[in-house]
Amino acid sequence: MKGALRFLYRRAEDFMVFLMVVMFVSFIIQIGSRYIFNAPVEWSYELILVTWLWAVFWGAAFLLTDKDHVKFDVIYNMGSEKTRRTYALLSAAALVIGFVVAAPATLDFITFKKIRSSDSLHIRMDILFSVYMIFLVAMITHYLLRAFRLIRGDSLSTLEREDSL
Amino acid sequence: MSGPFFWCIVALFALAGIGTPVALSMIVSSILYLLLKGQDIGLAAEQMIQGLFDSFLLLAIPLFITAANIMNAGTISERLLKFCLALVGRFRGGLGHVNVVANMIFAGMSGSAVADAVGLGKIIIEMMRKDNRYSAGYAAALTAAASTIGPIIPPSIPMVMYALVSDTSIGYLFLGGFVPGVMMGIALMILNARMARKENVPLEEPVPRSELPRLTMRAFPALMMPIILLYGIYGGATTPTEAAAIAALYALLLATFFYRAVTPRVLYNVFLESGKATASVGLVIGASLIFNYIVAAENIPAQVSTMMQGLNVSPMVFLLSLNLLFLFLGCLLDATTIILVIIPLFIPTVKALGIDMVHFGVTAVVNCMIGLITPPYGVLLFVVNAITGIPLKTIIGSIGPYILVLVASLLIMLLVPDTVLFLPKMFGYGK
Repeated sequence: MKGALRFLYRRAEDFMVFLMVVMFVSFIIQIGSRYIFNAPVEWSYELILVTWLWAVFWGAAFLLTDKDHVKFDVIYNMGSEKTRRTYALLSAAALVIGFVVAAPATLDFITFKKIRSSDSLHIRMDILFSVYMIFLVAMITHYLLRAFRLIRGDSLSTLEREDSL
Repeated sequence: MSGPFFWCIVALFALAGIGTPVALSMIVSSILYLLLKGQDIGLAAEQMIQGLFDSFLLLAIPLFITAANIMNAGTISERLLKFCLALVGRFRGGLGHVNVVANMIFAGMSGSAVADAVGLGKIIIEMMRKDNRYSAGYAAALTAAASTIGPIIPPSIPMVMYALVSDTSIGYLFLGGFVPGVMMGIALMILNARMARKENVPLEEPVPRSELPRLTMRAFPALMMPIILLYGIYGGATTPTEAAAIAALYALLLATFFYRAVTPRVLYNVFLESGKATASVGLVIGASLIFNYIVAAENIPAQVSTMMQGLNVSPMVFLLSLNLLFLFLGCLLDATTIILVIIPLFIPTVKALGIDMVHFGVTAVVNCMIGLITPPYGVLLFVVNAITGIPLKTIIGSIGPYILVLVASLLIMLLVPDTVLFLPKMFGYGK
């Protein structure tokens, strides 16, 4: 199980690197085509925006550990272990509830977008935007698991520094 | 303030207060607002996705992050330091001056204070701490303070964010940061000279002047980077976003072929780390888009504006009080959050009072960068602590005078708007 997760985590990392490289190369192509060859291509602009959107939500879904996030943890850090556990549990529960409540309407919005395709790459918009749904499901799973482990009594220090998987 | 909005704010403060990631707190409290208001909850996703997908300007952020990471992975930072050592190392407190000058030059290539602290900070602190010549607090505090110059001298990631929320020209904002960045550098060098006398640090072995041409040549390609960037933006050749891409490409070519310091493995990690940083910043930006949408729907910025005009404060008093507020918030919040969430609340007021948007933007970013070194929550303090192991307590104990001189520089920028606006005006701003 651990090994399989590890393997998936590596592939998630590979995909992120792929997105960043495509973004970077598309930029170079865009600039080169315009300034050097004086024949601007249209698809690169769109590809850059797609990779940017995917990098943000893909990274947020699978690669950011709890400590990579921007946080305000002054009050959290002042609490005793028991208080911190309560805080962490409350915040996990709130996130799970919030994202579950939002899921149906979000899915509606994204599937509704299938009637449109992007301007130059002609990718269906629901496919483009599906990364947000991936993010939502990942968040629900992640914080549900975290809440479960907090209740089960796993060591808090392990939970505070571990990976998002 | 409507009932749903009240609960949205309560939820946001409660969640963020107990340590929930700020971005996720904003998303969930926005969902709560839409739910209570009976609006379509899908709006949250729509605002975030469309907002990120429609602002090409934001793409400068991942590219500047990538460029800085490539420079740190290659030996570019190190070469720059050697060059600065030859330049200003011979004076008392020489390594301190090297620290500040290297940060100023590095600032011309990178737009992130954290990247500067990680790249230059680690090497320069090691140099300063060798044989215990500079005390740990001195070295760490000066390094943290010097890193704040990074996003003031262009390029700058925080200024891209400010441009996004305020609709101000990024080109003029970048230009406006020049003089303030140099002012901060000079302020820190004056303080460093004093501290060096007080701590009586030994003089460095001066680098022979005959070495200077060779060291300049070694650093020359790296020194060309700010020039390429600026020419790209102000020569009108490229947009700031494209200039960021060119900077990243130049850094990559330099590190790979010229300095031969980057292997495929290193490059993989550079892109991975840049991707993670992009996700972290991008998520906060996305979340603040939906939150700001709600704030605007509730008409809050306009109400603030009406209230402030009712108080009949002069623009300068307002600007100074706002800066006091930002300094206070900077002790508690991350700069990104202040720029994306707090500043938009006041933008209509700033405009109504006739305060210049470039002047306001540059000073606000300077203020937020000072916030990166003000305890208890100062990201740069944590970064320096993490890369050197110098205890937070020691760093915080020495940081006071550095904060003070930077705040003094900020005050001059606020009172004399031309310190900021002089360069943009020369390039046609406000005409």
